[in-house]
Amino acid sequence: MSNLGQSIIKNSWIELAARWILGLIFIYASLHKILSPADFAKIVYGYDLFPHVFINLIAIIIPFLELIAGLALIIGVYPRSAAIVINGLLLAFMAALTINLIRGHEFDCGCFSAGQSGYSSSTKVTLVRDVIYFVFGLQIVLFEGNRRSYFGRLNSRH
Amino acid sequence: MVYRKTVKEIIILVGVAVTLALVVNYLSPKGIALVGQWDTAKGVITANATNDDDYRISEIDWIPDARKIFDNGDTLFVDARSRDDYESGHIPGAISLPVGQFNEQIESFLNQYPPDQSIVTYCSGRTCEDSHHLARLLSDVGFSDVRIFIDGFPGWEAEGYPIE
Repeated sequence: MSNLGQSIIKNSWIELAARWILGLIFIYASLHKILSPADFAKIVYGYDLFPHVFINLIAIIIPFLELIAGLALIIGVYPRSAAIVINGLLLAFMAALTINLIRGHEFDCGCFSAGQSGYSSSTKVTLVRDVIYFVFGLQIVLFEGNRRSYFGRLNSRH
Repeated sequence: MVYRKTVKEIIILVGVAVTLALVVNYLSPKGIALVGQWDTAKGVITANATNDDDYRISEIDWIPDARKIFDNGDTLFVDARSRDDYESGHIPGAISLPVGQFNEQIESFLNQYPPDQSIVTYCSGRTCEDSHHLARLLSDVGFSDVRIFIDGFPGWEAEGYPIE
């Protein structure tokens, strides 16, 4: 890996920023879904990818994965594992978006706003955004050394 | 073993999230059933929200029934879709009352129609719940005979029935 790449991965300030940015984005994204689960379930249905029996469970659980992982990143609890959870979610989102992009299925991604029926932001823009988030997540996962916390240094070396 | 530690942490994070999700969903008035109704062959799709229990407005789930009601001529069809959708085609004689503009438009609606007016609401078919929301709002303001044509405009149009 290049020296630049290495120094980015080892930079604890970048790691802290990445955790806060990703954490806040995921907490924000989770809130409207938690507040209106029925609307979000309908969006999940709109993806036309999941067996009907799982749609409600997906709509109930995904927002809380986003919330808990986002909070963990910001507080600094299990940061690497939280980043792995978030990157796992991002991979799933990107797979779903890509499948629907390829087969030309139009739908509302429901990323940040449930309940605006008829509204769909560009799938490609959403994909690019997810890739950027994924890179942030990767920095947190690959980071080695003492992580910074808001209050001082976190002790754990993972 | 960093790897095992990470797996354990992920299990904890996911476990907390799943537990919290189920508890909040169970307690919240906005919670939904664990399994929704997503089969359009069985009716309008819905996540079966807990606060949907009082949705007991009768549904017309066979398109020719809607045609019979239409042909009788004394029932008012009310279009719950957006104004744009309404203008690009609707059931003849239907009134536009987009569910999102209900509060702004209900007063003039109330002035025009008596509470015993027979009403059938519709929207864009079985993937659309707006006709249900509208029917509920209309019965909340006092209309006693409200039904929902769940196949909506697409179903009507597909049968080759007249549109305007």
